[in-house]
Amino acid sequence: MLKGIHQKLEPQQSPAFFVRGAGAFSRMVFFSALSISIMAVDARLNYLSQLRQAFIATLHPLEIVANAPSQWYRDAKKYLSAHNQLVQENDALKQQAFEHQVLLQRLNTIGAENIHLRTLLNGNIPIHPKAVLGEISHMGRDPFTQTVVVNRGSQHGIKAGQAVVDDKGVVGQVTRVYPFTSEVTLITDKALAIPIQIERNQLRAIAFGAGNHTLNMPDLPTNVDIKVGDKLVTSGIDGVYPAGLAVATVTKIQQTPESPFAKIVSTPIAEIANHLQLLLLELPETEEAKPNTQSLLETTEQKKDIVKTNQSKAKPNASH
Amino acid sequence: MHRTSLFSIYFTLFIALLCQLLPWGGQGIVFRPDFMLVVILYWLLRAPNLCSVSTAWVAGLLVDLATGSLLGQHAFSFTLTAFAALSYQRRLVLFNTWQLTAYVFTLLIIERMVLLLLKLFAGNENPGWHYLWPIVTGLLLWQLMVLIFGGLTRPQTK
Repeated sequence: MLKGIHQKLEPQQSPAFFVRGAGAFSRMVFFSALSISIMAVDARLNYLSQLRQAFIATLHPLEIVANAPSQWYRDAKKYLSAHNQLVQENDALKQQAFEHQVLLQRLNTIGAENIHLRTLLNGNIPIHPKAVLGEISHMGRDPFTQTVVVNRGSQHGIKAGQAVVDDKGVVGQVTRVYPFTSEVTLITDKALAIPIQIERNQLRAIAFGAGNHTLNMPDLPTNVDIKVGDKLVTSGIDGVYPAGLAVATVTKIQQTPESPFAKIVSTPIAEIANHLQLLLLELPETEEAKPNTQSLLETTEQKKDIVKTNQSKAKPNASH
Repeated sequence: MHRTSLFSIYFTLFIALLCQLLPWGGQGIVFRPDFMLVVILYWLLRAPNLCSVSTAWVAGLLVDLATGSLLGQHAFSFTLTAFAALSYQRRLVLFNTWQLTAYVFTLLIIERMVLLLLKLFAGNENPGWHYLWPIVTGLLLWQLMVLIFGGLTRPQTK
């Protein structure tokens, strides 16, 4: 009889060979539920940004280690670049600097004249924002979002909401700030909108990121005066992007008979794939920093309404 | 198969995290394999007594934090994939190399699909076919793991 009990008990003693702790299924259920709740908290509430910042800060040394090989390669390439190449580059840069100097002279007189005219008209004088030079440390690691990570963070006085430009045009906006790095969302990201103006006829609109390296302007009617090749510049009405910076060129216009709106596709002018340096413009002091893209979207939406009602009050282009 | 030490598990996971942090410029990011996923799958299938679904969850959370994506999405997809991996783990001894590769392939597909669903629910665009590249590169990485740490199938006896 005892032997019989033993035979029945035998399978219940889990052999050490199959030890797995708590059942895989119950763990799966528990951790899935936990992940889903974390996702909900992260998407809807901003509680976890502190945790993220702390983690990224602790990860920073690792990031430096991971970036080291490419950094070494770049440094070595710089060091080994041939003499005549450097001379050529130097010549080209000198010429460029000279040309810019000439343009700058004109700009200075025009700027002075502009300020003079504005004071005559009791208008407010445009402020030139201060800027911090940053370098792209890597493209965002999530292929779904259009972001780049820049090697300047809250330790360098960077705040979320700052506009980012390169030598050609607007790149995007700082969306997350970590102690030593910050995340710049490109204007082509779906979450970002930028108030623009067509350079040719000063028509104002809002350009939205399309998510696929282009911009959309979904709220312009089919009969709008816009052509392929038109240059879009910032209108400066949102208080984030200074007016007059190049944003994009119109590349495709599609008018479908069933829609009252034209489908206007434009590609950004900034060339972040070709170089590493970016300028992070300081936020205007009167404006509050906009911590996340969602609120930014809402405010630009509101601004759009204001613009529509104030079409007659044309605001002159500030920096040109 | 010789015994696995906890150290080698955590060390390879650490290296995988480092690889995830590498500056993947421009087009390279399309081909980037899921380092953490492949490494965690390897150890899950090889030493289920040392790591479990919870290890996969922690690894997924680390990936989320490192990539700056919505927190919890990789954790979720890794958890489900780890569970799928463990549910057939005991039968692995019967598999030959090709069957095992097909099994890993299926697991990688599961992870991609779960992640895609989450991303689409979160309002992302349909990423297109190149979204599936990490499965292929992941399999290559799996072969590398097998080369370094040894295969999981029974050695062929003649």
